[in-house]
Amino acid sequence: MSHFEQTKPAPGTRHDVWLGLGFAIPIIVIMGGLVFVPLASTLWDSLFRIDPMRPGTPFVGLQNYAGFLTDPAIRQGWYNTFVYVVLAVILETVGGLGAALLLSRIKYGRRWLLAALVLPWCLPPVVNAIAWLWIYNPSYGLLNGALHAMGLIDQNIVWFNSRSTALFLVTVVHVWRMMPLTAIILLAALQSIPQDLYEAAKLDGAGPIKCFRMITLPLIAGGLAIALSQSTVFALNLFDEAWVLAGPSLDTRTVIIQVYMSAFQNLHFSQGMALSVLTMIVSLIISALYVMRVYRETSYD
Amino acid sequence: MKRRQFLTTASALGATLALPAFSKRAAASTTVSVLLPPWSTLPKDMADRFTSQTGFGLDNQTLGWDDIHAKIVTSMVAKTAPADATEVDWSWVGQFGAAEWYQPLDGKIDAGLIADLPTAKIFTFDGKLMALPYNNDFRILIYNRAHLQQAGVKDAPKTPDELLDAARKIKAAKVIDYPIGLPFSATEGASTAWYLLTKAFGGDLFDDKFEPLFVSPDSAGYKAMAFQMQALKEGLIDPASTGLKDVDIQELFKAGKITFDIAGWAGNIAVYSDASKSKVAKDVAAALMPSTTGKSRTFGLPGAVGIPASAKNPEAALAFAKWMLQPENQIESYLTLGNLPTRTSVLEKLNADGKLYEGDKLLQQAAVVEPLFAQGTPGWYPQFSSAVATALNQAAKGQATVDQAVKQIADGAKAAQQ
Repeated sequence: MSHFEQTKPAPGTRHDVWLGLGFAIPIIVIMGGLVFVPLASTLWDSLFRIDPMRPGTPFVGLQNYAGFLTDPAIRQGWYNTFVYVVLAVILETVGGLGAALLLSRIKYGRRWLLAALVLPWCLPPVVNAIAWLWIYNPSYGLLNGALHAMGLIDQNIVWFNSRSTALFLVTVVHVWRMMPLTAIILLAALQSIPQDLYEAAKLDGAGPIKCFRMITLPLIAGGLAIALSQSTVFALNLFDEAWVLAGPSLDTRTVIIQVYMSAFQNLHFSQGMALSVLTMIVSLIISALYVMRVYRETSYD
Repeated sequence: MKRRQFLTTASALGATLALPAFSKRAAASTTVSVLLPPWSTLPKDMADRFTSQTGFGLDNQTLGWDDIHAKIVTSMVAKTAPADATEVDWSWVGQFGAAEWYQPLDGKIDAGLIADLPTAKIFTFDGKLMALPYNNDFRILIYNRAHLQQAGVKDAPKTPDELLDAARKIKAAKVIDYPIGLPFSATEGASTAWYLLTKAFGGDLFDDKFEPLFVSPDSAGYKAMAFQMQALKEGLIDPASTGLKDVDIQELFKAGKITFDIAGWAGNIAVYSDASKSKVAKDVAAALMPSTTGKSRTFGLPGAVGIPASAKNPEAALAFAKWMLQPENQIESYLTLGNLPTRTSVLEKLNADGKLYEGDKLLQQAAVVEPLFAQGTPGWYPQFSSAVATALNQAAKGQATVDQAVKQIADGAKAAQQ
């Protein structure tokens, strides 16, 4: 111990620099190899025509991006994706916050409830979607069966024949899977709030709503920003649920499904790359807006 | 001494570690890996026979049809072969041919065998044979004889109008709710049914310059879609078919829930007539595709085995492709898996032996099988087919009229060809 103290270099020495670098190298290699290099390569390749069915890979500039403005299928894909994002973020945040508030007040059996809550999140998305596919089945599905039993419908409804219903039902499946993550993030944030604050507020005559607005909400803002960001990014990348429930149907097709179809079905790889780059930029912008907004809200802390 | 011991130990360890790699490589040289869809994956008996007859081991890899396409694309872009031999669907010929992803088989196959394979020309791209067809899929009208009898319909329909009339009678007689089985999900099965009905109405999809022929209301393609929408509107087709694929229609037929599998897979008659797999085994019957011109037409959608350009064991893969075409193997593949033989001589033998259920009808229909594209399947076919399926799905949901749907398909074809 004393030997260690004697030989321990002062902060800021070369030894510290190398040690810090050593710790950072794995993440630099992983992020570089799996994120930044592929990202740069995708960005660069999206400026060329890469199509194995055609000879050569000529430089085409922003032509791959310009085509998106005129393609009605891609426009529909963006529209559907934004509907999913708005619905999913609202439902996941409200539902997740509700579940987190409920769990934070439960004293007995919380761990079991928590385990039940995270189950949909633990299941693979395709498995989740297949289970819901059976629920929505117009002939033998649970949803029609339940509505029949309650006397609300007299003939089976083909749920995916209506565009708005189809979008909502796909969102429900996605929310079912992702809401537990929001709930856990918010539960962690809720548990970090000192109880003294609520007791002091009560003494000052604050009711539950005022406590929530003045104490809970500001103090879980950081967690809320993370929850909102992840909800947005996952909804923007929605693929499995829409694909399993309705295949490439235009009513429910997302922009990521369009990426898959452009690249792997039609072999227009550079178009697929350009579309995925745009999706990434949109994800980054929305996430940055959340983070900046929350930073402003909480900076007085 | 210690150093010597260390070096000896290190060498032995290295050799021990390297040995399995060498032996694996040696084994791989005599094992052919094949990537095929579930309906073509050889049962163990056949796989064992392949090994005993050719001396090559067989590594069977099974994936869904769509997944095979995705796997081939990703592997070939990465310049590696997904397997030594893979499924090559008729609809992929344009893409894979243009990308030069498969080894030409010209000169490697006996001319007599090629002459016995009428669908081989569908797998020819730019004058080169790129795969050997083993699964003779073409479309034929398959129906439930008992349903027709219960509704007082004596003969199988010969025209699209007769088909609608028969379906109306079956529905009116309350034999079943939805007599006609057609898929309308945005999938390939919906597209191929429309192509078939376009031929039934006496027309084609494109002219020789790939200009669409289905936009005008008096065209066959337009009438075919109007026929489909009318049947749907009259309640002759289940409204839930907007979410059904072709394989779902087959399940409905086997369960006796539909009367007509309009775009029936020829090989499926073997499955439908098998009492262990179908509830309507005694009632299944086939008829030539109805036609407005008096001459039945259909098109081929065969499956083939091809050898990727970067295959590790091309000789073993070629041996596999040839072995699949041997008469006894084609017959067993039909009887156990429902893959209709691609060799004319084998089809005739099966029929002569009484093993081809509805054999006369199948042979009659097989005689008029034509390719969907006379010029060969173009590379843009998957994109076009997706546009067709999407438009049909929207029309079936009432989100587009027939007029709008065919124009949407024409726009899709134009975009795909750019």
